[in-house]
Parts: sequence; structure tokens; C-alpha cells
Amino acid sequence: MKPTKFDYVSPSTVEAVIEALVASNGDGKLLAGGQSLLPLLNFRMARPSVLIDLNRIEGLSYIKDRGDRIAIGALTRHRDIELSPLIASKLPVMSAAMRHVAHLAIRNRGTIGGSLSHADPAAELPMLAVFYDATVLIRGPHGLRMVAAEEFFVDALTSCLKPDEIVVEVEFPVLDHGGWAFEEIARRFGDFALASIALSVRRTGGGLEGARIAVMGVADTPVRLKQAERELVALPLDEQAPELCSEIIASKVSPNDDLHASGEYRMHLLKHLSRRALRTALASTDQTA
Amino acid sequence: MNKDHRTDLSDVLRPKNVGAAMKRTEDPRLLTGFGEYTADRKPDQALHMAFLRSAQSHARIARVDTSAALEAPGVVAVLTAEGIAGDFKPVIPFSRMANYYATPILPLASGKVRHVGEAIAAVIATSRYLAEDALELIEVDYERLQPVAHAEAAVTEDAALLHEEAGTNVLVAREFKQGNVAADLAAAAVRVGGRFEMTRKAALAMEPRSYSAEYDKRRDALTLYTSSNIPGIVRDAISESLSLPGHRLRVVAPDVGGSFGSKGSLYPEELLICIAARKLRRSIKWTADRLEDVSSSSQAFAEIVDAEMGFDEHGIATSLQADVIGDVGAFSIYPWTCGLEPVQVVSFLPGPYKIRSYRGAVRGVATCKPPTGPYRGVGRPISTFVCERLMDMGARALKIDPLEIRRRNLVRAEEFPYRIASGIIWDRTGFIDCLEAAAEAAGYDQLRKQQSEVRKRGRLFGIGIASYAELTGIGSRIAVAPGMPINTGSETAKITIDSTGGITAAFGVASHGQGLETTLAQIIADDLGACFEDIRVIQGDSDEVPMSTGTYASRSAVLGGGAAKHASEILKGKIKRVASHLLEANADDLEVSQGKVAVLGTDRTVSFKQIAKAVYSDMKTLPVDAREELTASYTYDPINGTTAAATHIAAVEVDPATCFVKIHKFVVAEDCGRIINPMIVDGQVHGGVAQGIGAALFEELIYDDDGQLLSASLVDYVIPSAPEVPIMEVVHVESESAVSGGFRGMGEGGTIGAPAAIANAIADALSPLDIDVSVLPMTPERIFRLIQNAKHRAKEKS
Ligand SMILES: Cc1cc2nc3c(=O)[nH]c(=O)nc-3n(C[C@H](O)[C@H](O)[C@H](O)COP(=O)(O)OP(=O)(O)OC[C@H]3O[C@@H](n4cnc5c(N)ncnc54)[C@H](O)[C@@H]3O)c2cc1C
Repeated sequence: MKPTKFDYVSPSTVEAVIEALVASNGDGKLLAGGQSLLPLLNFRMARPSVLIDLNRIEGLSYIKDRGDRIAIGALTRHRDIELSPLIASKLPVMSAAMRHVAHLAIRNRGTIGGSLSHADPAAELPMLAVFYDATVLIRGPHGLRMVAAEEFFVDALTSCLKPDEIVVEVEFPVLDHGGWAFEEIARRFGDFALASIALSVRRTGGGLEGARIAVMGVADTPVRLKQAERELVALPLDEQAPELCSEIIASKVSPNDDLHASGEYRMHLLKHLSRRALRTALASTDQTA
Repeated sequence: MNKDHRTDLSDVLRPKNVGAAMKRTEDPRLLTGFGEYTADRKPDQALHMAFLRSAQSHARIARVDTSAALEAPGVVAVLTAEGIAGDFKPVIPFSRMANYYATPILPLASGKVRHVGEAIAAVIATSRYLAEDALELIEVDYERLQPVAHAEAAVTEDAALLHEEAGTNVLVAREFKQGNVAADLAAAAVRVGGRFEMTRKAALAMEPRSYSAEYDKRRDALTLYTSSNIPGIVRDAISESLSLPGHRLRVVAPDVGGSFGSKGSLYPEELLICIAARKLRRSIKWTADRLEDVSSSSQAFAEIVDAEMGFDEHGIATSLQADVIGDVGAFSIYPWTCGLEPVQVVSFLPGPYKIRSYRGAVRGVATCKPPTGPYRGVGRPISTFVCERLMDMGARALKIDPLEIRRRNLVRAEEFPYRIASGIIWDRTGFIDCLEAAAEAAGYDQLRKQQSEVRKRGRLFGIGIASYAELTGIGSRIAVAPGMPINTGSETAKITIDSTGGITAAFGVASHGQGLETTLAQIIADDLGACFEDIRVIQGDSDEVPMSTGTYASRSAVLGGGAAKHASEILKGKIKRVASHLLEANADDLEVSQGKVAVLGTDRTVSFKQIAKAVYSDMKTLPVDAREELTASYTYDPINGTTAAATHIAAVEVDPATCFVKIHKFVVAEDCGRIINPMIVDGQVHGGVAQGIGAALFEELIYDDDGQLLSASLVDYVIPSAPEVPIMEVVHVESESAVSGGFRGMGEGGTIGAPAAIANAIADALSPLDIDVSVLPMTPERIFRLIQNAKHRAKEKS
């Protein structure tokens, strides 16, 4: 289990990274935290001719307050996001989700740019990007482009990135949450999720005026359930609501079987999490109201 | 409990090592990164080996083309079965068992491949990277054969044969019988039964298998460093195979990072690396990566058991019958044979119970998977799972409490030695003591009250008990594996005091995590009268004692400990004889302790160092015939061995929403005889129970119908990690055994009791839904299915 032969460069600017990507003719791979890439190299599933290490670039690791948006640099480690007071106050759903990402040692290395680019359907940050409707900032030989998170994720382990592009930043809108919840079930502490949901609501009087729902682990990409959001807003908030909410969400997804869980069991888990998420979200608006 | 039975006055006064929770001698080096594992070896100009492994589960090898690989950078040789044909004699896992077909150990696949991961060719190159690059250049043409992926299908008429020469896929068949089972079952007040299964499991030692074959040109000699726990057996087998006598073949197991049985057989790669080193006259290294380790090291369990138990109206189990199919994989293993695991299931099935009549039939069936082999507990995790499930099912049918039904059926103190229906003889052991001690420590009655309370609120809370007994420290009268021709029943200790007063004790055991460097030194310190710190224990090195096997089958404390006691006694006699000259006192008036000999009742002493000087260096003090070399060697054979037993109690809760199982409480009461080091005993129990939790709830090697391994990485092969293993309570019932020192073996028990206790607890938790637990591991997915099916059943009824 040794990687194939590759060259290694560690440029200090984004421009130089792009040059190296272009020079590699689509055969280069960016190295961020290495937590997903190195296993692929060792299994020889990735066979890049050159590894372009991003870790020497200054200024790609930051969490910036831009008023109604929070910008996170691509090289920001999971652990920095987890511990950031700014994230805790402005993006509380993300803050709550971060401790579910792998184990501490992996969070110390893994980066948001790497996690999004790797596009694992059961990874938290891609799901949060979809939930928040984040914008992914991508640099390539032809300059900067911005892609909405929902368009960024194409398939399992596939993003819309071209071989000569690099993610430089992810920008998250600050939401007027009201109440929110993040729920996840994994086989063991730190494992990839069997099912997970992020949900937020805004209340008016007796009902809801807005809702946001994203789920992962139940499809090839994380998904935001916009139709379910609309149906949830139309629900009366009685004791039936959590059950109906879970039915609505369940009707929008059809998870597949895999080694860890059947689709049916994942659905069962998702329904359970949906009920719990709505209860938690509603309870947290009660407190803030 | 924990009573000390020694009455010798001097014993009471002197600080004792045996029984003390001494810190392990090996830990400072292991915990600070100074251990030396096989992969740490740096032989001069070593070459590196990498294996091309079969991607097919069952296929004829039509052609292997290695020409391109041979031209690749850094490549020194590419070996195939053809290329080494004349370089060794085949190693055959022979056995006197009837109805057994011995498949030979093949260093490389020859003619056909029989499981995914079987080695077809080996590249030897100047680095592992270059060797792996060259693997990609080897071309293999396969002619696919029908896969033989399921044991039950493999015994049918139209199944393809894995070993055509055998004429059948049934590599071993055996039956145990006593009494009239049919009549007893017919007369039973209650009969319970079912089809039970424990799926395939990986041993997953932290250190993967690793070999370094170091060639000495000057003597055409070979030293094999190996991550084995049976270096002595490996030495003898390779010596035969390569016609290389022991003075030119040394096998050393240095620090070994766990085995759990998976490093306890001779491996094809182990044989091949020696063949290659000799052929090329170069030193060669190989360490398995995790994928290789999971897909080529021996695996565990994989049995299906159809069993039935009959009880009379008082809850006495009268009869038991079982038909077992063991999915033994593609090959028999050396030296234990493919009978080891499945035959042990039927020989131990009656467990610690007085069941009158018994019939247990077993078939070990070849399938296109890696071989099964020894795994901590061997056979008994599943025999205990089945027997203990049946006990609970009987208790439920008869409305007797599970604790009470065990009281009625366990062999009682006055009934030992007791021969159970399969023929195994239990010597005096605290069966009932363990049961009662576990119940008390768990607060059993209180737990039952708690259960009926929370059940009213719909919670799925269950309590599970498992009692078992095992044979440990087996002597020469009983074969560790059925019909096996090699002697595993003795162990040698050779203790020497050198000219500086240093004490070196050599053994044939091969500790791979058990802490034997510590416990054997504790025994010697007491019995020789030495300071613990002054003793160095050498083990795992075939050069140190004339014959050795290794550490397996819970033997080392009993056999090594017994040998240590006897050798210490002999050496102490020599020390006293010299000291009586030096101190001008009668040997009977001397007391040896803490590395000194004292004349009783005086302050006259002489140290081991002074004694050594007198014997070896100072030619004036002693008469010539009193200068006895300060060394003693003893080979100990306990003849039969001794029983060890325990009761495990688990309290669990099943969350109906997630279908996850939470272990609220786990108690073990175990009888391992006289305890040498309670901290090490606790550690062995903790580790064993953790593995038992893995078997009960998590671990499963999943092969598809084509024989492809689907759970080959640690993402997919799920093992319990720290948060999944609860704090457990361990109670020691210290009833001394009859063997030297009063010890009993205890390295495996944790894994034997835990799966059964957890299975019973889950079944108890789910009993309001009328659900039985018959397959392990009970993954959330399986529990989900069981609950869904129970709901459907309930709906259909109403
Ligand atoms: C045992 C284990 C458990 C894990 N559990 C979880 C979990 O529960 N949840 C979870 O979310 N994740 C989990 N992970 C994955 C972890 O979060 C990774 O760190 C993350 O997926 C990848 O980040 P990285 O920085 O390590 O990326 P790398 O491994 O360095 O790179 C991953 C991929 O992204 C590309 N890439 C990296 N940075 C950029 C960039 N700026 N622009 C374009 N492409 C880029 C690389 O070329 C590569 O293809 C786990 C990992 C391990 C090893």
C-alpha cells in the first residue's frame, strides 16, 4: 500500500498553485489536510504526477466577519471552525455540527476546502454549505468564479471543480434562524453519518414563516429540501407537527442500501432525527422569543 | 476471595511478588516508542517483498507473465510457484483425526487460486515502493471457476470443489455422542432450539503480520524475525521444509503488537520469505499493510449451529444436540488444522453444565475465503453463545429466573472432577462461586427490579448472564488441536546467574501483549528469592531453549509459570549449597530472599553477586567440586492442564428509535486460580471483553456471493472504540488449581463470555416484542429488521 511515484511542489501563492496545476495537464492533485487524499494515494486510486501542497500558502486560513456573511478560507482547519466564537454566534448550526466531523486528530488537519472538494455525501461541511446556501469561490487560470453550493456538488465524491482549479474561500450567509437543530447518527463516535439533518425555523404568531432543511447520508450529494421547507411552513404547529414533518421529509428522499445500513433503516433514522430536530428547533425559538 | 493459602512463616514476612499489581516491565519501552518490532529491524542491504494477490475467489491460473516486472527498476527477483518448486518441502497440517483432509501450506498459489487475497507472485526489490510498482506489470490470466462462497451451499451435490483431490468440500467431519439424546429430548418437559450464527471476524492485531528474513552468508544460516506468537513451531516447520537444522535457523519473535490468534499459525509468506532469502542469499523484509492483513491473515468463527436443548420440569437440562457447519475457508492451517475452531464448538458445547445426553456433529467446509484459525477463545465464543442462549430460552419457557436455572445446572463444588457429555473433564473450579459473585457485584436482584420499573414505561432494558468454562494450560495428554502430532504440552525455563550476579531466565513462550516478562519474573523472584528488578526474562527466541512452541491456548502462565517454579527451586538448591560453604552454615538454616542468602536468626548474609564471584571468578574460596554452574533448566508438563471459568453479566438497553444497543453495566467474575498480577489479569479481561463486544455488536467480515470481501478497510470493518466499551467491573474468585503454582490460564476468557452475555441481554430487552437473538453481531441494522418483523407479526395477529 504505497503510492505511485509523484513529484511534490509546495508553492507559496495561489497563482503559483494554478500555474503548477496548468503545467501538470490535469494530472496534478492539491494537498490540503491530506486526510482523504492520502488513503486514495496509498490505495493507488489516485495517481497524480504531481502533488501540489497548499500548506505553505499564507492567508488561505481565516474566518472573517463580513456582516451578513462569514467568509472561511479554504485552508481553515475543521478544529478552528469548531472552536471559533464567531462561528458559534453567527453560524450556530455549523458550530454544533463540527464536533461530529471525524476525530480530533483528523479535525486538526482536515480543511474546509478539502472537505468540499472531496464531496463525500456523508460529510458535514458539504451539507452545511448546502444548508446555508453558501457560495464557493474558485480560482483558475481564467480568474475567479463563484458557484452556489447546490451546484458545486455534482455526485458522490464529485464536485464541479475543473482539474486546474482551486477552492479559495467559502462564504456563508448569516441566517435569521430563530430556532435550529443539527442532528446526526453515526455508528460510532466520529464515524461518517448514517443519517443527519440540519433544520431551522422562523416563527410568527402561531405558525412558521420560514424553514430550512438539509439532509445528508441519504443521497449521492447533500440535499436541501426546498419543497419540504414549503410544506413544513404550511403545517399547524400542534403536537402532530414533528410526526408530519418527518413524513414530509421522508417523502422527499429515497436512500440507498449500502454495507452499513439499508435504505429502509436510514429512512427510519432520518424520520427519527427529523422529529427530534423539529422539536429542538421549536423549543429553541421558544427560548429566544 | 483473594485469600492467601500459603502458611510458610517466612512467606508471610517477606514481600511477595506473586499477587502484587506490579507495573509491567515491558511498558516503559513500548509506551515511549522504544519497542523493537519486526518492522523495526534493519538488516544490512535488505530487499523488500511485495505480493501480487488474487483478485479472483476461485479460478484456474492459466498464465502468469512476470517478464515486464523483472525489467522494472529496482527489481531483483519475481517469484512464482513454478520458480520455487524445488526449494522446499511442502508443509502439511497433519492430524490423526478421521474424516480429515489436510491441504498443504503453499507459499504461492499453484495451479489455481482459492480466495481473494491469496498470493500468486512475489516481487523482491530494493524498496517496497518499487516492488509495488512492479506488481502492476505482472499479468495473470485467470479461468474463472464457480465461486464457493457459502458453506451451506458448498456441501450440496452441484457445488464446485475447492480441492478436487479431496473429492469433497467437507475438509473435516466429527461427531461426539453420549447417552440417548433422542429419548431424553422426547421425554423433556420443555424443548428449546434454534439456528444460531456467528459471522466471520478479523483478529485485527494492531501490528500487522511482519517478517524479516536475515541471511548470514558466512554460515548459510537464516534468522527469521517474525511477528509470530508461535516462533518455536515456525522454526521447526521451516527447518523441516528447508532442510535447515536449528543451529542454522533461528526464529525470533521480538516485540509483537498483538495477535489474538491471527499470528499463531505458519503462514505462506513466512515460509516464502525464508525460501527467497536463501535462494537470493540476501536479507528480505515484508510487512503486511492493513488490507493484506485483513484479507490474508486467519479469520475467526463463521459457524452456523442448529441446536436443541431439553429440560425437565425442574429446569434441569437433560439433553443437547447440535449440528454445526464451520465455514473454514480455503485451506487448513499449520499446525492446528481447519478442525481447530469448528471441532472446538462441539467439544465445548455442553459448557459447565451437567447435561446427561449429547450429540454434537460438526463439518468444517471449504469455501473460497481466507482460512479460519485460532482466535481468542477458539470455538468457545460460539459454543457459549449457543449454550447460554438455550439456557435462557429454557428459563423463559419454564418461567425460571436465568440466574436460578444456572444454579441448578452448573457443576457444583463437590462434583469435581466432572466429565461433561462431550468428554472434557473439568477439574475443581469455582463455577458456582463465579455465578454468585457476578450476581452480587452486578446487584442482580436490584437490576431485575429496575427492569420491571422501566419496562412499564416501554423501555427495552435487558439483563444477560453467561457462564462458561475453558481448558487452559493444557499438558501433553491433550492435543491443543484434535489429532495434532506436535507436542504443545510442555514448556522449558532455563535460569542462569552469570558471573556478575545478573539473572537471566529464558523461556519458549512468546508474549505478544500478555506481559509475561513481568509475570514470569514475579514468580522467579519469589521462588528463587531474587529481586524482581534483577531478573531478565528472555522469550520468543528459538536459540534460547532447545524446544519451544510459543504463547497460545492460555498456556503460558500455567506452563511457563510451572517451569519457572521448578527451575527456581533447583537453582535455589545450588545457591544454598554454595552459600553454606561461604557462610559456614548448614543449608537447612539458610534463607534466600531479595538476592541474598542469610543464616536464619543471624545477620550473616551473602549476596548473589558474591556467590557468583565465588563460583566463577574467585578460584580460592570454593573447592573445585563445589563450583557448580549457577544454572538450572526444567521442562514442565502439567499432563492434563486445568480449567478456568467465569460468569459475565451485562445490562443493556436497546433504543427503539436508533436500534443502537447501550451497555449500562458489565460485570465479570472469573476464576483464574492464584493470581500472579491482578493488574495484568484485569487488563486481559478488559481487552477480551472489548473484543467480545466487537463480536456481539460490531465486527463482521462481509463476503459477497462471488467471494469478494466487501468490508476490507477499517471504514467498513467496524470495531468498538473507547466510547463503545463500558467501564467494567472484574471480580476475582481465586480458587487454586492443582497445577504447579495453582495458576489457571486466563488470556482468552473475556472474548468467550461477553458475546453470549450481551446476546442474552439484548434478547431479554427485546423479549416484550417476542424477539429472539440468534445471529451475532447484533448490528443496528439487524435489530431494526427484527423489530420491523415483530411489528408485522403483531399486526398480522390482530
Ligand atoms: C478516519 C476518518 C474519519 C473521517 N470522518 C469524517 C466525518 O465524520 N465527517 C467529515 O466531514 N469528514 C470526515 N473525514 C474526512 C476529513 O474531514 C477530511 O479532512 C476532509 O474530507 C478532507 O479534507 P483535507 O483537508 O484533509 O483534504 P485532502 O485530503 O488534502 O484533499 C481531499 C481532496 O480535495 C482536494 N482539495 C483539497 N483542498 C482543495 C482546494 N482548496 N481546492 C480544490 N481541491 C482541494 C484534494 O486534491 C483532494 O482531492 C474523515 C477522515 C478520516 C481519515
